[in-house]
Amino acid sequence: MSQDPTNATARRSWAEPYKIKMVELLKMTTRAERQLALQEAGYNTFLLRSDDVYIDLLTDSGTNAMSDRQWSGLMMGDEAYAGSRNFYRLESTIQQYYGYRYVVPTHQGRGAENLISQILIKPGTFVPGNMYFTTTRLHQELNGATFVDVIIDEAHDSESLFPFKGNVDLDKFRALIERVGAEKIPYISVAATVNMAGGQPISMENLRAVSELAYQHGIKVILDATRAIENAWFIKQREPGYQQTSIASILREMCLYSDGATMSGKKDLLVNIGGFLALNDWDVFEEARNLVVVFEGLHTYGGLAGRDMEAMAIGIEEAVSEEHIRARVGQVEYLGEKLVAAGIPIVRPVGGHAIFLDAKRFLPHIPQDEYPAQTLAAELYLESGVRAMERGIVSAGRNAATGDHHRPKLELVRLTIPRRVYTQAHMDVTAESIMDLFARRESITGMRMIYEPKYLRFFQARFEPLVPAAAAPAPAEHVGNDHAAEAIG
Amino acid sequence: MMFNTIIEPFRIKSVEAIRFTTREEREAALLAAGNNVFSLHAEDVVIDLLTDSGTGAMSAAQWAAIMQGDESYAGSRSFFRFQRVVQELTGFKHIIPTHQGRAAERIIFHSMLQSGDLVLNNTHFDTTRANIEVEGAEARDLVIAEGRIPSFDHPFKGNVDLEALERTLESEGDRVRLVMATVTNNSGGGQPVSLENLRGIRDIAHRHGKLFFLDACRFAENAWFIKMREPGQSHRSPKEIAQEMFSLADGCTMSAKKDGLANIGGFLALNDDAMAEKCRTLLILTEGFPTYGGLAGYDLEAIAQGLEEVVQEDYLRYRIRSIEYLAEKLRNAGVPIVWPSGGHAVYIDAREMLPHIAPLQYPGVALTNALYLEAGIRACEIGTVMFGLHPDGTETAAPMDLVRLAIPRRLYTQSHIDYVAEAILAVYAQRDAIAPLRITSAPTVLRHFTAQFEAMAPESAMT
Repeated sequence: MSQDPTNATARRSWAEPYKIKMVELLKMTTRAERQLALQEAGYNTFLLRSDDVYIDLLTDSGTNAMSDRQWSGLMMGDEAYAGSRNFYRLESTIQQYYGYRYVVPTHQGRGAENLISQILIKPGTFVPGNMYFTTTRLHQELNGATFVDVIIDEAHDSESLFPFKGNVDLDKFRALIERVGAEKIPYISVAATVNMAGGQPISMENLRAVSELAYQHGIKVILDATRAIENAWFIKQREPGYQQTSIASILREMCLYSDGATMSGKKDLLVNIGGFLALNDWDVFEEARNLVVVFEGLHTYGGLAGRDMEAMAIGIEEAVSEEHIRARVGQVEYLGEKLVAAGIPIVRPVGGHAIFLDAKRFLPHIPQDEYPAQTLAAELYLESGVRAMERGIVSAGRNAATGDHHRPKLELVRLTIPRRVYTQAHMDVTAESIMDLFARRESITGMRMIYEPKYLRFFQARFEPLVPAAAAPAPAEHVGNDHAAEAIG
Repeated sequence: MMFNTIIEPFRIKSVEAIRFTTREEREAALLAAGNNVFSLHAEDVVIDLLTDSGTGAMSAAQWAAIMQGDESYAGSRSFFRFQRVVQELTGFKHIIPTHQGRAAERIIFHSMLQSGDLVLNNTHFDTTRANIEVEGAEARDLVIAEGRIPSFDHPFKGNVDLEALERTLESEGDRVRLVMATVTNNSGGGQPVSLENLRGIRDIAHRHGKLFFLDACRFAENAWFIKMREPGQSHRSPKEIAQEMFSLADGCTMSAKKDGLANIGGFLALNDDAMAEKCRTLLILTEGFPTYGGLAGYDLEAIAQGLEEVVQEDYLRYRIRSIEYLAEKLRNAGVPIVWPSGGHAVYIDAREMLPHIAPLQYPGVALTNALYLEAGIRACEIGTVMFGLHPDGTETAAPMDLVRLAIPRRLYTQSHIDYVAEAILAVYAQRDAIAPLRITSAPTVLRHFTAQFEAMAPESAMT
């Protein structure tokens, strides 16, 4: 098999615990077709048509392949507006596996973020968190809070091999409490795993310590449980004392250290749409239940079809199975190890849902203000039809006060692996494309932004190459970012 | 020859078993639900006429389309199919998918309205009104006087009172941000708006420099009424009529859970570039990326297919006729209903049927509960509980106290409808025994969904 021969301690195979039930045909494109498609998309992979994409690693969100059981669940939808039996099944499944008392379904994760931010945040408050996430931070800011990053420093270092790079730095959290006062901190937002740090996990020990510190000061803990099951897998692998514990038990314990969770079912839970807000506090729940009617839908469907709630309930049961999660993370690691063996700079250790190429090391000749990660994502598409996503200066947006770019330490391209969609051969093709690109990296030149939306600009921003594609000179011949600044205005 | 029976233009492909309950079981279930049918478990309901929203049966072609969903986060081909179909139907430039209609409303109102603004409409529906009031703006209803009298026969009881519209725009024009028409007019009994009236609204709104939007949830049913009732329209296809309706407006909000024949989904469509960009920004924050808007790819497919099926003449003839069929049965037996019957529901006039119950003793909920206990039928109050509580905390009687029997699309057969009619007649025969209600707990916004009730002693009823 194509196990990496340089890795003497190669794992046992991560062979998928499923066979294929139904397939979806892919379209192969030529380089000329991709050049045209990329120009039309303003060199932003978000704006490509999926028909023009060969292997779509833009996101693992909602792109999963459902199981035959989940598809049967879709046929069991009870589409009653109120009191659908699918809701009660979902509610009891969440109570069983996550352990929270109350459940409000939402159409997806950001619906839950919207609810919790509106309920808990007052203007002038601070919300600490283990690194920002784009939509989460924006919800917090629009409700008048300031986000404060309290993740450990190792998280910002793409080469650190620390096993729990998603951990909260307790000293940073404590310093914030001393600086602004606990009464100004409605809650701490803890993500498991941490997406923007490269899908890095938080340890159980750290979660426990965070909640102890928070509760001492009367601060709530809200878990972003989107990929908590992948996090549980890393705890089982890496944290002393958990090797014999089931994934389901680890998940329950993780949730024990929080007052509630926002959840996008489109990740861990193997569905194409859906999310929920789970809570232990009756008063917060009651407010959420009244608010969800305005934004999402009545509290027994929350903007989801009955069938979608059924598919999500089944997805929870499948997601916590050891065989599933081993194959899931195993596939991501497989791609990661291939790239590491070829000397490609990636964030290590490899996270749970994606490989993150380190664009600063991949393209050291392109300054951050010329969008090295955006450029690398565009070039990768052009090279091979693989669609990735920028997670660097473009995603970080601008500082609301100064108007300048946020310049994150990590300038990354995310290759996100949808669950159960692609095979080992697809991973091999992806790795080979990246290696080809790496071999000709010095010929790649940066870009300027020619259209910039006000919020979450990475979704819809448009770019153009600083040097026209046909006549790209050697990288040393272009310098500076004046053009980019002018173009944005 | 013309047949009297309207055969469904489909046969059944897949069924869902119904559970029958005893009266004792229903009594226990209703008590546990705080005497509010919104809190019933759907499994305890025999015939569910709570709403026609998202409750319809999809076609085989829609289920097939679901299997073809492209779940790509960005640029999904399912989106491009959806966009093409909606654009062809509505003619609007910007098509923005949302997870359902209320999200489209929230996005357009939040992008457009400021505190103190005024929105005019024939009759605002509950979530529409709530989304306007959340912005601190006022929602004012300008339906024609005939539209407020349940028994008054008029072909287009959903029409806007054009004189009142003109007057309001003259006296308070600086506050008015948007003029709307809900087609069909749900709160007024599912009553249609004529093309002539839509033209009139458009002319007046534009003369005053105001945008005109449709709340298009039931556009196809409205188009069918135009074809049947408006002079000079009988030769046109429902789709042509619908296209003209949309062409008169600057944009629309749509819940695809009604005339999209889908179980979930909606959209916002409009022509203005700057406003569309504002709306998309908000969409990304609360719904999803503009090429999925909070829907799975498979939902976009189902809606696209549904919008093509809903404008077919055979479907609309069956749809409207099956509502009429129930309405005629009730009317012939003397039950007071909104007449003529609307496009998606039969509305019983609870205030007239239960004169011994004052509006603030909630005759609509009392009748709804009686129907559930009698036969396991779930209906919906559209009256003082839904509309009687004002943002300042005061409570007054709504203009009408109706009980809506909303008929889900393609879901129930004629024998189900016969059963419903029999049950209503049985309740009608014992109507004097129905007790008034009081509210024991309720939230301040959209209280009808979660309020709890208890029956009052008979002597406290109005005599």
